[in-house]
Amino acid sequence: MNRRIALKRVGLIAAGFVMIPYACNIEPEIIYSNLPRIKKTQQQRIGYLSNIILSEDSIKFSTTEPRQEFVLTMVNDCYGPSKIKRFSKGFEMISTELKGIEFEKLSLDQQISFLDRSSQLKNPLSFFIETIKKYSLLHFESSENYMIDYLNFEFIPGRYLGSVSI
Amino acid sequence: MIKNKYDAIVIGAGMSGGWASKEFCEQGFKTLLLERGPNVEHLKDYPTSNMQPWEFKHRGRLTSKDIKENPIASRCYAFREDAKHFFVKDKEHKYGQTKPFDWIRGYQVGGKSIMWARQVQRWSKYDFEGPSRDGFAVEWPINYKDLSDWYTYVEKFVGVSGNKDGLDTLPDGDFLKPWETNIVEDYFTKTIKKHYSDRHVIYGRCAHLTENKPIFLKQGRGLCMGRNICQRGCPYGGYFNVNSTLIPWAMKTGNLDLKPNSVVHSILYDELKQKASGVRVVDSKTMESRDYFANVIFVTASTLNTNLILLNSKSNRFPNGFGNDNDLLGKYIAFHNYRGTISAQYEGFSNFTTKGKKPTSHYIPRFRNVHKQETNFLRGYAAGFGARPHRETIRSGFGEDLKKQLLNTSETGVWNVGSHMMGETIPKITNQVTLDSDKLDQWGIPQLNIDVDYDENDEKMLKDFFDEFTQMYTKAGFINIKTKDNNRTPGNDIHEMGGVRMGKDPKTSLLNRWNQLHNCKNVFITDGACMTSTSTQNPSLTFMAISARAANYAIQELKKSSL
Repeated sequence: MNRRIALKRVGLIAAGFVMIPYACNIEPEIIYSNLPRIKKTQQQRIGYLSNIILSEDSIKFSTTEPRQEFVLTMVNDCYGPSKIKRFSKGFEMISTELKGIEFEKLSLDQQISFLDRSSQLKNPLSFFIETIKKYSLLHFESSENYMIDYLNFEFIPGRYLGSVSI
Repeated sequence: MIKNKYDAIVIGAGMSGGWASKEFCEQGFKTLLLERGPNVEHLKDYPTSNMQPWEFKHRGRLTSKDIKENPIASRCYAFREDAKHFFVKDKEHKYGQTKPFDWIRGYQVGGKSIMWARQVQRWSKYDFEGPSRDGFAVEWPINYKDLSDWYTYVEKFVGVSGNKDGLDTLPDGDFLKPWETNIVEDYFTKTIKKHYSDRHVIYGRCAHLTENKPIFLKQGRGLCMGRNICQRGCPYGGYFNVNSTLIPWAMKTGNLDLKPNSVVHSILYDELKQKASGVRVVDSKTMESRDYFANVIFVTASTLNTNLILLNSKSNRFPNGFGNDNDLLGKYIAFHNYRGTISAQYEGFSNFTTKGKKPTSHYIPRFRNVHKQETNFLRGYAAGFGARPHRETIRSGFGEDLKKQLLNTSETGVWNVGSHMMGETIPKITNQVTLDSDKLDQWGIPQLNIDVDYDENDEKMLKDFFDEFTQMYTKAGFINIKTKDNNRTPGNDIHEMGGVRMGKDPKTSLLNRWNQLHNCKNVFITDGACMTSTSTQNPSLTFMAISARAANYAIQELKKSSL
């Protein structure tokens, strides 16, 4: 075998091994029936956005399901066709507003500034951002620890005290 | 021996039917209890009763599909992710509406007693006297004295938490101790007492166990834990529903034959004996038709379905519906006007808050037109009153700023307060239900058409509620007072009544003082359909007392072989 060809093959095999973890992402794509155009990478972008809006804390505020899954489930199941359309349109507007720059490539300050600025507008983009924020908040505020530690939630209180000094 | 023969047939396994069945079974009568929906066994069939809020896929919210497929049911406050399985879905049993009417139903053993609001107030003499004094509907053939002991009888079994308030407008009952009240509820109570001699703010009497008593232990029920998710079914049996009390109680006697999935088609009439002989049933699973026979029949299928069954029970004797010689069957339907709400805030007691939960709030019995006519509308309204500490979380911005705000959840020191009206509506001949023989449901039964609406009296009453409660709230020093007409559709109060009203005269009513059809004495109607007028109180306690009373009368008659 030609030495050059042999080296090339070794190089390809090595590169293949390096790429395996990326090429074989075994996490299945969740299909959201009312959001057929939002594919896996876009779902991940929504999850990323949600975490910038309000970071997930799976240790201190653990939840039944991951944030991305919850937000997309709520949009998919609880929004009717017109809201879904507005939501999708808002999502598409991100790249237009950022003139092709990926949101993820912005610094954290730039990301927050973009969200602040965009949420002031009355257009599909602000609707999209407010939707992600609304369901991110719901996910966070309905986590077990938040409800118990911050909202004084008791599942079985067994009593009512009507005049407790603060 | 005749096949499928019983001493008594009871149609409908809700509160009224549950009481009739219990009474018959306890006294040794073989009883068939028919329920059009599936069985719901206490504990076993409460799928969400122990779910935490964070375990619900949509955190309690309805999906757009739920709302699209159930525009009517989804308008009910309790039709949410945790309890929607107990409600009839819109497409499951269609009906016609000449004017919008939200018919909220629970087709299952236990009926709506699983998801009811559990408020239980007695009627007073002023309520029964209303129609004759004010000249509407017809005179009630019974009064408070006829029902007083039966209220007590029911309360002792159900378990009612309340205070002895000593009001003749809302008679006291056999009460368990009340839950603690809060500091603003107490303040409002005192303020109203100071300013008005005829108005009272009292603890809302509720069907919750706050004390252990042998009767409740015998039922296998425990104390209410204040979870306030009763609509899912209670694993403690802390509130009264039929499933945890009347059904197992009747079952233990060995005299009850409970048949779920049995849609009643009609009541059978024996022309020779000149009385009802039984009931024709369609099995909702197999669509098979079957007849059952008994000496006495209690129709307690819920107000409008009781009307439907009677209208569909035609014979040579009753060509226009069972017992309908005067053509009044299905007419004079009434309900409660729940359109008015008022909210406000109170800045007093800013150093106090509450802990835990309780299953009731406060109640303001009717104070309008009680002793004499004094307004430009007939009758009056009761109202609820609630107060709770205001918790405000700022949710502005994004990222870390937002999170910091969320972790700062201290209370503001302000209290939110609110009331809702519960107005009596006047039964009218134009408010009625009929059968649409061109439209059959999936069991071959004509669909019900509902033609019910508000009237001018309701509008005037609503305005009065806003005026009077604004004045009362102002006197209490409440701020940010806001009134709202929620434009609730009739029926959404879930207190529809009438259509087979009681009365003294067979020419103007369908039922006598014992709830027997005037012209067929072995058929009794004891659910909301029997109501001559509605008054303002949540009606379930009265339905139960009437059912127990009528059942015991029927038992006496059966023992004398008079039915």
